[in-house]
Amino acid sequence: MSYIVKVFLIFIIIFQSFSAVYAQSTGVQSIDGEKVNELQSYPSSATGPHIRVSLLNEHASLVPNVTSHLGILLSPNPEWHTYWRNAGDSGEPPTVTWQSSADIEFGEIQWPLPEQIPVAHLVNYGYSGDTLLMVPITLLAPEEKESNSPATSLTNPIVITADLSWLVCKEDCIPGWATLSISLPTSSQQTLSEHSTLFENTRAKLPSDKWLNAQYEINEQYIALSTQAPYPSDWQLLPFRADLIQHSGTQQWHDDSNNEEGVTRQNVLLSKSDYFSVTNEPLAFLMTDGKSGYYVEAAFNSDGNISGESSSQSELDQSVTAIALMMFFAFLGGLILNIMPCVLPVLSIKALALANEADPKNVNHWGYLIGILISFWGFAAIVLTLKASGNAIGWGFHLQEPIIIAALSFLFVFIALMLWDVAPSGAGLAGMGQKLTQGNSFSSQFFTGVLAVIVASPCTAPFMATALGVAMVSPAITTILIFTALALGFALPMTLLAISPRFSALLPKPGNWMETFKQFLAFPMLATVIWLLWVFLAQTGSFGQLWLTAGLLAFALLIWLANKLAQKKSLIALSLAILTAGYVSIEASSFQAESPPVNNNTLELAFTPEKLKELKADEDVILVNMTADWCITCKVNEQVAFTDETLQQLLLQDDIHYVVGDWTNKNKEILDYLTQYQRSGVPLYVVYAGTKTAKVLPQVLTPSIVINAIQQAQQELNNATL
Amino acid sequence: MRHFKHWFYALVLLLPLAANAAVKVDKAAPQFSLTNSQGENVNLADYAGKYVVLEWTNHLCPYVKKHYESDNMQALQRKYTDKDVVWLSIISSAPGKQGHVSADKANELTQSRNAAPSHVLFDESGDVGKLYGAKTTPHMYIIDPEGTLRYAGAIDSIKSANPADIPKATNYVTAGMTSLMTGSAIDKKVTPPYGCSVKYKS
Repeated sequence: MSYIVKVFLIFIIIFQSFSAVYAQSTGVQSIDGEKVNELQSYPSSATGPHIRVSLLNEHASLVPNVTSHLGILLSPNPEWHTYWRNAGDSGEPPTVTWQSSADIEFGEIQWPLPEQIPVAHLVNYGYSGDTLLMVPITLLAPEEKESNSPATSLTNPIVITADLSWLVCKEDCIPGWATLSISLPTSSQQTLSEHSTLFENTRAKLPSDKWLNAQYEINEQYIALSTQAPYPSDWQLLPFRADLIQHSGTQQWHDDSNNEEGVTRQNVLLSKSDYFSVTNEPLAFLMTDGKSGYYVEAAFNSDGNISGESSSQSELDQSVTAIALMMFFAFLGGLILNIMPCVLPVLSIKALALANEADPKNVNHWGYLIGILISFWGFAAIVLTLKASGNAIGWGFHLQEPIIIAALSFLFVFIALMLWDVAPSGAGLAGMGQKLTQGNSFSSQFFTGVLAVIVASPCTAPFMATALGVAMVSPAITTILIFTALALGFALPMTLLAISPRFSALLPKPGNWMETFKQFLAFPMLATVIWLLWVFLAQTGSFGQLWLTAGLLAFALLIWLANKLAQKKSLIALSLAILTAGYVSIEASSFQAESPPVNNNTLELAFTPEKLKELKADEDVILVNMTADWCITCKVNEQVAFTDETLQQLLLQDDIHYVVGDWTNKNKEILDYLTQYQRSGVPLYVVYAGTKTAKVLPQVLTPSIVINAIQQAQQELNNATL
Repeated sequence: MRHFKHWFYALVLLLPLAANAAVKVDKAAPQFSLTNSQGENVNLADYAGKYVVLEWTNHLCPYVKKHYESDNMQALQRKYTDKDVVWLSIISSAPGKQGHVSADKANELTQSRNAAPSHVLFDESGDVGKLYGAKTTPHMYIIDPEGTLRYAGAIDSIKSANPADIPKATNYVTAGMTSLMTGSAIDKKVTPPYGCSVKYKS
């Protein structure tokens, strides 16, 4: 090539580069419709005091409907830093506003794990050194035949502009603003750009995608939060909001392995910010140990709704699954109940009656199932009524009444006597019992069912306990469903035997063995009576038990007599027997076992208003602890304060009483007590010096707070007696 | 060992509380006494019976500059000192740190910026700043004539260093003072403050 041409070419190349640079670095007045030119006029990086900012792309081109990433690279000078989405006590996070010449969907900034940067006694959350803030973008493909305008045509390179603002600080801070842009071609295949390694490396510094769940409670000075960390480490919670916690406060973590689900949860106390103004909304945090991070969504702990999921949809799903599971357990429990010693004899009588019978297809057999269903629904109704009236009850609540225990003992003895043929059989009142349970009519089947439920009540099959426990604290509909499942499981075997010829064919053929078997069955019945007597002893003491056993003997004697005597006298004997049963039950139940139930391990007394009044009148020191199983703060206090040896020693003293109110199932007495102190929830700790003073302790305790309060109360009592 | 652990927790739990003496709105505002730019002693107690606005400031902080270069802060000062409100600008910057100025310089700045605080007070040790939990510059507090703290927090609702955001934001000092002076309750009694960190001694 000739020399002149070469020079000319070089000149042209130089001129082109200059104009390109010139075009890039000058602002061009915006003209509507010439958006492309305007956007193209910004550089892809800029420098401000102590920082360089750049706009980078992960891929060399954009593919329609395929996600790529852009990144804002903040490169502050050494010892200068930028900020996280919550800057902490001061500072400002970077913000970006996007514009594009094409239809692009821009996502949110993916914040890498921040550091905690101390500033005097305060803390900021941010990044020192180069930080890439990645943003996912997706080019949305335009409608097929529509667009003709150059701006949306995908053949031109797409220009993307970012309006960026930031704050960079060392000790003093300097804000900055810049508009950056890049231009990317489109293609059908995604290829990596020169910056892709930086994007990959930054991805490793991002928190995990998976959000964890947590619950939180608000106390006077702390937020108590409960969650499950993926593994043990030195975790810190960084809130998204700047007005939540004291960022410089120490976060106190406690492991709690003592809960119902059997998993270890972590409870943490976060000091509240002076600017705290949250009311029960979900809170978001980043949980980090400096090396990895997990986002946490904490839901307000509204009285024990500790479920695994925080979103209401999955909460609904889970509770449906939980109910189905409970119903299944209840059903299994009902099945197993059939072979419990209390129930088996009664059912065996019935089964034997069936074996003797000619017509297994009698529809009256449904009476049994219905009897059982109605009885269990009756139970459920009683449970719901008691719950509604604010009583905290668990399954077996009826067994807490001595008079019912006594009545059941008499019933079981009567059944045993029946099995031994000592009880009178025949027409009239005497035979009524037998007829009711051994006849073929609908009502007899019905009453067999009812009887079966009554005798089943002292026995709890393993699965049943869980299911019923859940039913007791769940809404009415759940309670009814679970009791229904229980009823069905319980009724199933006998109903099958009654209605299905195939099943009843399984029954052994009648014979002499039946008589022996029937007599044998009396023994499990009597075994149950022995158990009932043991319970009765605990409830009413040795005198009460003596009364009951004497009564049972007299009853047995009278029944035997009734059997031996002629009709009228028999009736008299029988009536006497029933009277004896009634009288003894009432008398024996009036005894009170001597020592009140005291848990010797921790010397806790159960709270009742009367008990508190009584203790106060004794002019002793009383520490009242209102707690609940699901209360996070209570658990933390349990571990920090109440396990303290000095405090435990102190509580063992004769003139210091420790009263605990369990609000897990919300009873009215505790609610009234809480209201008295203007609280609506637990925990509540109060120390009384007799009837003189009452001091409400803070919601978050340390051993010294409790010990000092007790000692102060002791002082006051001593001063008073001087 | 367990004893020690529990005492340690107690101590450590209380420590940050000491450092950030929790300033509580609707409680008595803590008393203090500082020297102003004329060399006089100024006590908060002197102003019982008047509204007092506390403004933590640092004239080199970009967020303070946002409000001063736009005349926003001065306008507030003029407006309220005209209504017999006491406006105290407090500098808690330690010597050698950004914002720390001599008395003469402070007076010169007041002049050149056309500012109208009742006093410019020096809190070099940072004790009053920590007493009030002042975290940023600017950081605003409003105390009512009964000496109760009624507002603590940001000057306005848009956290940025851009003066163009001032007209778009809700000014919490104006909102607070208006509510108080008309006898109604303040809507937002606490808001998270924004700005540069107060340049405490340590």
